[in-house]
Amino acid sequence: MFFLQLALSGLAQGAIYALVALSMCVVYRATTVVNFGHGDLVMAGAFVVYLLVVLAGLPFPASAIAAVALLFILGALIEIGLIERIKAGPHIGFALMCIAVGYLLRGAARAVWGREVLPMPRVFDFPPVMLGELVVTADALVIFSAVGVLLMLFFGLFYRTSAGRIMQAVCQSERGAALVGINVRAFHGVMWGVGAAMGAIGGVLVAPLTLLHPGLGAGFLIKGFAAMTLGGFGSLGGAVAGGLLLGVAEQWVGGYVSTKLIDITAYLVIILVLALRPSGLFGQAVAERV
Amino acid sequence: MNGQTPQHALAHRALGTRVFYAAPLLALVIPLFANPYTQFIVNLTLVYVLVTVGFNLVLGNLGQLAFANTALFGIGAYTAAILMAHAGWPFWAAIPPAGAAGAAAGFLASVTALRGIRNYYLAIVTLAFGELLRWSYIHGEALSGGTDGLTVRHADFFGIALESETARFYVFLLIVTVIVKAVSNLMRSKIGRAIVAIRDNELATASLAIPTGRYIVLAFTLSGFVVGIAGSLFAVLIGQVIPESFGLIELILHFAMVLVGGLGSLFGSVLGALALTALPEFFRPFPGLYEMFFGGLLIVFLLIQPRGLSALCAKRWPALRDRYYRER
Repeated sequence: MFFLQLALSGLAQGAIYALVALSMCVVYRATTVVNFGHGDLVMAGAFVVYLLVVLAGLPFPASAIAAVALLFILGALIEIGLIERIKAGPHIGFALMCIAVGYLLRGAARAVWGREVLPMPRVFDFPPVMLGELVVTADALVIFSAVGVLLMLFFGLFYRTSAGRIMQAVCQSERGAALVGINVRAFHGVMWGVGAAMGAIGGVLVAPLTLLHPGLGAGFLIKGFAAMTLGGFGSLGGAVAGGLLLGVAEQWVGGYVSTKLIDITAYLVIILVLALRPSGLFGQAVAERV
Repeated sequence: MNGQTPQHALAHRALGTRVFYAAPLLALVIPLFANPYTQFIVNLTLVYVLVTVGFNLVLGNLGQLAFANTALFGIGAYTAAILMAHAGWPFWAAIPPAGAAGAAAGFLASVTALRGIRNYYLAIVTLAFGELLRWSYIHGEALSGGTDGLTVRHADFFGIALESETARFYVFLLIVTVIVKAVSNLMRSKIGRAIVAIRDNELATASLAIPTGRYIVLAFTLSGFVVGIAGSLFAVLIGQVIPESFGLIELILHFAMVLVGGLGSLFGSVLGALALTALPEFFRPFPGLYEMFFGGLLIVFLLIQPRGLSALCAKRWPALRDRYYRER
């Protein structure tokens, strides 16, 4: 029972990781840029919600929508204003740009909020549901349903609509897509926006559950990477599966070994997967033999 | 050589060598003018020269994004501090083990390169490895003192007690000059050229029968050695080693120094450290300003001057052009 209970709470945590990993994966697949500042976009989403709910007094749903919209715009602006302008340069430049933007956001959050750790008032306040002897908390239920709906929406869009086919086309070949009349630059901007908005939804969902601080992003970034590597780098479904697995693994490690180790489970997952099976569970080979 | 005659190039090279030796000699007189605080900042600059030189080996010369640099810096500092505080070793004896520990950590951070892990994947491994090391500083209380850290006292360099900033300065200057010269020679050697060749085109390099995976690991190991030694100097200079000194706040400073100085340029590494070491002190009273400033600085340089200050200087004074870095 303990085993299952841990798995259940792990899945709730893992759903968030899955969302963050998927949002990073979307940007990576669409633009081949790994956003090393993505965690800070998640943090920014959480902070905007906090700002709107606590300081502006707006209801949670309205704040959440506003935060996600804001982050969409921010993500698109980062791509169009910064990344696109150094496209001709070496690859290390994009990565450094993402890191720089991440630090800028983190610094901005710290400048506004100082060194305090902020609790947000609870939003999802209804009693837990019992499944036999298993307790499903209200938070877990909300996260599950929100992430589930989002994933269905996303994969439906990606695989079933013509907009999704355009996305797939650009992912496969930028030049080919440009030749058949797809505006690749605009597409990159939009996909950065989508990635940032999806990350922000992750941030919005955890905002009422955790204590907020500007350094939140670094943790999300590493967990997102761990989920992506576990599932297979660049695989959209793999990112989701990897996120869920990581969440469960963390709870089991915490429950059976030591709670101290929860923090480093993600690091170990990254190192072990890339050392032993670099393609992850569902990905293609990442190692190049030269 | 951009239309220069070979004679010109040689003359420039000779001038560059003279500049190289003149700088530390000129620096010898700094203590005559400095008060203890400015002397401390000068010493810290020397530490960061080594940090940047070491990081630039990987980031600039090898062209591989890496995040483990603060962890390597930390392991050097902790090794020196543990040997001095727990085992009572003199400072000079603790320097080589600090370098060795940094080298070992650099090796471990990059060893997956032998399995074909490159670019983003390798960068992510170094990120995870670095965080893992930082976690072990916090939780390895018995050795590292946990979040309280370790206090380093009575640094001794071959019988000279390093009590004053001035005494530290001369010892640091000696060590830094020797290591920068060693790295300069290394970059001209087969190893250095192989490392730069991997950045420019790994496939072509491999086709010359150069085992690129091993050279990537070697570059990380050498970088770890240099940064580890920087860590041991840092431990003695600050007198205290705490996990917080080696976190993400520190990492952006390392990135900024390499980029502002000039990716892949040894001269640039020195410039980057000179330009930025003193700045964090000014931001201390304002939370967040530090991260915003360095994040913004990186963005500005990436957009406007991606080759850093060294490229600006080289344009103005061709004698300062880096020998180991050519514009593509």
